Amino acid sequence: MQPQILVLKEGTDQSQGRPQLISNINACQLVVDAVRTTLGPRGMDKLIVDHNGKAVISNDGATIMKLLDIVHPAAKTLVDIAKSQDAEVGDGTTSVVILAGELLKRLKPFVEEGVHPRIIVRAVRTAGQLAVERVKELAVKIENRSPEEQRELLSKCASTAMSSKLIHQQKGHFSKMVVDAVLSLDAPLLPLDMIGIKKVAGGALEDSFLVAGVAFKKTFSYAGFEMQPKSYTDCKIALLNIELELKAERDNAEVRVDNVKEYQKVVDAEWQILYDKLAALHASGAQVVLSKLPIGDVATQYFADRDMFCAGRVTEEDLRRTQRACGGAVLSSVRDLAPAALGACARFDERQVGGERYNIFTGCPAAKTCTMILRGGAEQFLEETERSLHDAIMIVRRTIKNDAVVAGGGAIDMEISKHLRDYSKSIAGKEQLLIAGVARAFEAIPRQLCDNAGFDATNLLNKLRQKHHQGEVWFGVDIQKEDIADNFASCVWEPAIVKTNAITAACEAAAQILSIDETIKNVKGGGDMPAPGRGMGRPRMG
Amino acid sequence: MSMFPGTVAFDEFGRPFIILRDQENQKRLTGIDALKSHIQAARQIASILRTSLGPRGLDKMMVSSDGEVTVTNDGATILKLMDVEHQIGKLMVQLAQSQDDEIGDGTTGVVVLAGALLEQASNLIDKGIHPIRIADGFEMAAAAALTHLDGISEAFPVNKNTRENLIKVAMTTLGSKVVVKCHRLMAEIAVDAILSVADLEKRDVNFELIKVEGKVGGRMEDSMLVRGVVIDKTMSHPQMPKVLKDVKLAILTCAFEPPKPKTKHKLHVGSAEEYRDLRKYEHEKFLEMVKRVKDAGANLAICQWGFDDEANHLLLAEQLPAVRWVGGPEMELIAIATGGRIVPRFEELTPDKLGSCGLVRELTFGTSKDEMLVIEQCSNSRAVTVLVRGGNRMIVEEAKRSVHDALCIVRSLVQDSRVVYGGGAAEVSCSLAVARAADKLSSLDQYSYRAFADALESVPLALAENSGLSPIDTLSEVKARQAAENNSNLGVDCMGHGSNDMKAMNVIESLHSKKQQIALATQLVKMILKIDDVRSPADGIQ
Repeated sequence: MQPQILVLKEGTDQSQGRPQLISNINACQLVVDAVRTTLGPRGMDKLIVDHNGKAVISNDGATIMKLLDIVHPAAKTLVDIAKSQDAEVGDGTTSVVILAGELLKRLKPFVEEGVHPRIIVRAVRTAGQLAVERVKELAVKIENRSPEEQRELLSKCASTAMSSKLIHQQKGHFSKMVVDAVLSLDAPLLPLDMIGIKKVAGGALEDSFLVAGVAFKKTFSYAGFEMQPKSYTDCKIALLNIELELKAERDNAEVRVDNVKEYQKVVDAEWQILYDKLAALHASGAQVVLSKLPIGDVATQYFADRDMFCAGRVTEEDLRRTQRACGGAVLSSVRDLAPAALGACARFDERQVGGERYNIFTGCPAAKTCTMILRGGAEQFLEETERSLHDAIMIVRRTIKNDAVVAGGGAIDMEISKHLRDYSKSIAGKEQLLIAGVARAFEAIPRQLCDNAGFDATNLLNKLRQKHHQGEVWFGVDIQKEDIADNFASCVWEPAIVKTNAITAACEAAAQILSIDETIKNVKGGGDMPAPGRGMGRPRMG
Repeated sequence: MSMFPGTVAFDEFGRPFIILRDQENQKRLTGIDALKSHIQAARQIASILRTSLGPRGLDKMMVSSDGEVTVTNDGATILKLMDVEHQIGKLMVQLAQSQDDEIGDGTTGVVVLAGALLEQASNLIDKGIHPIRIADGFEMAAAAALTHLDGISEAFPVNKNTRENLIKVAMTTLGSKVVVKCHRLMAEIAVDAILSVADLEKRDVNFELIKVEGKVGGRMEDSMLVRGVVIDKTMSHPQMPKVLKDVKLAILTCAFEPPKPKTKHKLHVGSAEEYRDLRKYEHEKFLEMVKRVKDAGANLAICQWGFDDEANHLLLAEQLPAVRWVGGPEMELIAIATGGRIVPRFEELTPDKLGSCGLVRELTFGTSKDEMLVIEQCSNSRAVTVLVRGGNRMIVEEAKRSVHDALCIVRSLVQDSRVVYGGGAAEVSCSLAVARAADKLSSLDQYSYRAFADALESVPLALAENSGLSPIDTLSEVKARQAAENNSNLGVDCMGHGSNDMKAMNVIESLHSKKQQIALATQLVKMILKIDDVRSPADGIQ
């Protein structure tokens, strides 16, 4: 008898060939089902409870995918494209997953019939390229417009991005906030981290407001804080990274005192160190002292005595934003406190927002930062609002950088579908069928929009196909009237970049999944699972 | 809820394949099932609170896991102590919490309203209306109700001369609480406290200046407002005088002991001589410290830290009364009240940093040795303390919560001085307005409007029910009279005074609180209606 040849470690999971491919496609399909219903203005939210019992309610595709904790290797690809869409453009995460899933679904029959995956992959690539070109061709460039018109355009894009979210009734209010926020940033870079989002529970959504400057919650304070003044005009701000507390200068040092007289000197020396720091700050003319590290009670009282305001344990992010907004530098020593190292702002206030007190800096000279203070009933609500605003902010940023827009509501997807179908008729060979399949896949978005809203999808799609055949490129689903409409005219706009990125990502993911024909999984790979033997793609062999 | 998780998906070969981590341990609820389960949970919570609404509402007794008993009728407190597990239940808790943070009163009302809205939504879902459509309709109806509230609200001037009216408002709030026994007194305390702290120019009330202290024993009628500070401490030595007049206070955050360096140190004592030196040094230090305090002109020392018996004795000998172990917030209140500065070092003590007040006395309670120190007739009366007395700890705790509610409501009047009338009058009026608006709509939203109008009636219904009236009869009578007389001041006569005119009865609520209730409840309902998919670890949701 011939000895058995062991190539792989025992227990290694190995599966290959066409069945593997189909099984991968099926897995992806199931993942798509999880986010399908969140698409569009009538999309629903998901409530996901993790193992620790923490609940998240969300409508954001990327957030849901992240929380699902997917372990299937092929299905993970979809999570990755959702994440990359989130990072790249910030919106359209659900669409990209649906599109990829639909592509796979439409191409599965071809795999079953024995078409070589490579040919399918090539067709997908071609179709993807054609689709992207079509989007670019159709996109309406909006350039050299007056600021008012630009603002108009941006707020339309922002409201489209928000229309599927919890806050869509207030989208007028929020789109204005988002556009104001983004426009207040530095023009070419539009750094996202200069928009701070703070959440205060309580109040109505409309009570949310934008602070043209920096705002953060009152930090932990020591006795004496209440005696400090709480508002200044034209104040100077010292930003520190030092502790203002009476404490040992060196932890590992030990002082040996030989006689009693020396004792007092050591004590005095310690106090002197702290007082020197405080005096330097006072002498510099700063009125507001912020520090990343604690400001102790002695310092608090010292400042209170001199009508200065201080806040210790300011988070790094807030401190950095204050520094960028008000100028100055974050100091790690007060020894040479140059006036230039101090920031300045026109107005500082402590204001009550709901149950919290906020420190608000406005009129900052160096620019270019703002803070949104969100109000809302429950914590979950606020978190979802923040995610929705994040999407909207990303969209507005994208639109400023790349100001071409297309019509949303499935209009552009129908148009791509039509374009691909026309193209497929002009070529010979297997690709004709494959590209027609991809063309059908693009109809998934309008179909899903209709399904989620409870409309008759087939009926509306037929109407849409007809309109697009007649050359009406901007016709899409009108959720309000349960009909189709020219979505460009009704201002359902989204940046072209969202679509091009989604198409590229979806096609690539589909191509990648289609070109896998073997999975080899090591037993060790499952070692970090909470329960061994579970959670892998297949049950263990043997 | 066809495929996964919970059930296992199979591939072409009948092998199960796993996409999510631990998917067999997860539960998933989708679609209408999920919605119904959420509505059920939320209604259960609302029905628990329903019976504590209004002046005839009953209290709940909560026993915590360590056997601690709380008796309360404050919605937010009940929910907080209920330790709700269910995710949707948690949302309700947060809702009550945010009403509590924002306004401080009306926490029961907001939960009852949310429960009623969900009940109505459930009926509409049965009719086949899309949940988001319902949510949108509710939101529009809420907007209509809020505008209507603005319309029926009345200005309510707040200044020192309107104390009487404010007391009436506070009495409405306290009407449902255990303190109703000394209704008027408590209301007076709350109003006077707010008026002495309020900044009527800025329309701001700093709550940190009001301290609510409870002390078990005595009668509730013995509760009082101290225009100054009450601290739960006594003079450090029993022989120190119990009453001081024209006091100059030194407020010290440094310990009454020989200063020690913070750095680790070692004092080398080589001989008995040196030891005696040390002893002398310490003694001298004490004398020096006492002298400094006396030199500055102080005749009372308030210390944040303790001092040992030797120091205590010395202080007595030097006839300097002192109080030790006073907490940080109290130090601050004392400093604000007496206009003194908190002094971190004896070296810094100067006469102008001393606080001054007319009277410091010790309060003795009953036969027990309970004593408290009262600092009164302060130069700055902006810091006040409410001292609540009561027969047992539970009553005192509940009375403290009640006073807090009353303080909150008066504060919200200071911030926004418009009022509506209570006893369900505002709700009935809004309900009528929303129902009228429904008649003018041509779309499906009619149904949501009507449902919203019905839900608003749940508050007067619960009020009537809790007061032992026939709910339907009472409500229909009030509604009919409101419609006929066009008088939005008519409400449910809970106390049996024989009049429905809430204006005449002085049942007043602040407009801000009422608007907040409607806005928050609608927001929460919308969020719940938007969820159609719940994933949780299997034991999470029943």
